[in-house]
Amino acid sequence: MKIIACCKIVPNEEEITVLPDRTLAMADASLKISQYDLNALESGKKLAAESSGTMTALSIGSSAYLENSKIRKDILSRGADELSLVMDDSHDFSDSLQTAKAIAGAVKAIGSYDVVLCGAGSSDLYLQEVGIQAGTLLGVPVVNNVTGIKIASDSSLEVERTLEEEVETLEVPLPAVLSVSSEINVPAVPSMREIMKAGKKPVNVLDIDAEIAPSVSTAEQLAPEQQERRQEIVEGDNEEAVDALVSFLKKEGF
Amino acid sequence: MAIQSVFIVSDNYAVLPEFCAGAKNLAESVTAIVFGDEAAAKEYVSCGADKIIYCPVSDEGAPEDYAKIIAELVKEQPKAIVMINNSIRGRCLAGKLSVYLDTAVLGSVNELSVENDVLSCRRVVYGGTAQRKESFTGNYGVSTISSGIFEAPAEASGNAEILPIPGEPTAPIRRISRNEKKEGAVNLVASKRIVDVGRGLAAEEDLEMCRNLAKVLDAEVGCSRPVAENNKWMPKACYLGITGVQVKPELIVVLGVSGQVQHIGGINKSKVIVAINKDKAAPIFKNADFGLIGDMYKIVPALIEKLS
Ligand SMILES: Cc1cc2nc3c(=O)[nH]c(=O)nc-3n(C[C@H](O)[C@H](O)[C@H](O)COP(=O)(O)OP(=O)(O)OC[C@H]3O[C@@H](n4cnc5c(N)ncnc54)[C@H](O)[C@@H]3O)c2cc1C
Ligand SMILES: Nc1ncnc2c1ncn2[C@@H]1O[C@H](COP(=O)(O)O)[C@@H](O)[C@H]1O
Repeated sequence: MKIIACCKIVPNEEEITVLPDRTLAMADASLKISQYDLNALESGKKLAAESSGTMTALSIGSSAYLENSKIRKDILSRGADELSLVMDDSHDFSDSLQTAKAIAGAVKAIGSYDVVLCGAGSSDLYLQEVGIQAGTLLGVPVVNNVTGIKIASDSSLEVERTLEEEVETLEVPLPAVLSVSSEINVPAVPSMREIMKAGKKPVNVLDIDAEIAPSVSTAEQLAPEQQERRQEIVEGDNEEAVDALVSFLKKEGF
Repeated sequence: MAIQSVFIVSDNYAVLPEFCAGAKNLAESVTAIVFGDEAAAKEYVSCGADKIIYCPVSDEGAPEDYAKIIAELVKEQPKAIVMINNSIRGRCLAGKLSVYLDTAVLGSVNELSVENDVLSCRRVVYGGTAQRKESFTGNYGVSTISSGIFEAPAEASGNAEILPIPGEPTAPIRRISRNEKKEGAVNLVASKRIVDVGRGLAAEEDLEMCRNLAKVLDAEVGCSRPVAENNKWMPKACYLGITGVQVKPELIVVLGVSGQVQHIGGINKSKVIVAINKDKAAPIFKNADFGLIGDMYKIVPALIEKLS
């Protein structure tokens, strides 16, 4: 099978600086693969191995993010045979449908495929929509919150989807787009060998044919008001330390 | 000025009165689209909608299959907003509808407002680091909303016109089977005291120790997302955070949680936060009123003893 796994590059949210006027400064934040896209890459790696197939990783974003060679290597050390990129500095992709249009355009540019895998949701926007939208644009079946994938035949998968109150088993004809839940697997940490091999794998920059005008505008983006905390910190797990905690709780009336 | 039409699409009847009441404040006409037969729709005739359109779902089919037909219905209005119940099926419907209506989805929004005929939504971005206010620029918009953002009406009102959806869906996906899933539910939102357990817990059996602490504190037990989702040691309804439950107890004792933004977003309205973590650099300490740097396996048993 030919698998395409979508992964977004995002600023590490733990390293975003909140300025005194509550706006955000991203410049100091390092880049990372969106957390739950590691599950999509892991699912793709497994599916490619089981079907003696291949996996292409696909990422859309600005050149400032996607030209980063450390990030490219990080993606390629997680089971992909090659990396395809759509670099676009003229859009900020803050609108899910825009991103989905770029992904659908990229999938068409890549050509044939059996399964496109997306993560549960991107770490920055977490709309949990791009996979469904991209599949719908491509006119193929889509399933979200996938918690299990089995190969049923050359042209279909048996997919387990976990809803709030039930688990369903679906027969999904291929090609299809699946958004995997973060519960589906525990992403492996790349081995030294995989990291070494990653540097030699091909990276393709795609030219896509897609109209991607935004349909939302952002009026404001501010950090929530910070609640002050007292931060009384005691070091140690001996009796004295526990006593300090007990007297804190007593003092607070608990 | 209000917008003209809102369509509420929900795979759960129970949210209808609340969603319709909220939508009524924003729009002139409210149409609810529900999944099931006419009899089920009739039970909600007083949910506050002007119109209820029901979509029968077969054993092998799913509500999502109706996306295209619903989009056609929405497009009969020159301008409209579709508000969808923020469930897994709801998000699938939202994504499909957004493509057919050629507009973005603003998902998991926590506030909606109308200014100058335009709908604006607020939602959390960057794992809780910021709130973003956005509005749709075209004639259509799709948003997913959770229960709790609108005030539920005190009593039922209205007498909706009930109609079947025109058309039958076709779907390439076939459901082979379905199993009910049973997970316990607790109401952490209403809890006054919570013990919050993270991945610092080494084994499922050790939850007993945390439950014992909760018992002496008269507290409920909550957890971080990986404890529920990856380890499956607690029901998913128990995890706290921006994508989990947002709580505001008087006391929360946080054990073995690193305190990443996504988790903090669910607990930072607590009155008093106590954190126990063996890593002095853990970000949880910046969000704690009292912190103990040490091994929870030593501290918790000693604490239970002293508090009993
Ligand atoms: C889009 C998105 C949404 C998310 N939403 C949520 C959410 O709503 N809720 C949520 O919880 N997470 C959420 N997450 C995940 C979040 O980023 C973190 O991965 C998660 O909160 C970490 O859980 P943890 O603190 O239990 O585990 P870890 O980060 O692994 O921390 C474990 C901690 O335990 C400490 N520890 C270990 N052993 C001991 C011991 N013996 N004694 C004391 N301390 C010990 C360690 O020092 C460490 O700090 C989300 C992530 C993304 C990308
Ligand atoms: N810019 C992007 N590049 C590649 N994949 C993306 C991008 N944005 C979103 N995705 C994929 O779509 C999923 C859902 O994203 P979202 O709807 O933003 O939560 C992510 O987990 C990714 O797999």
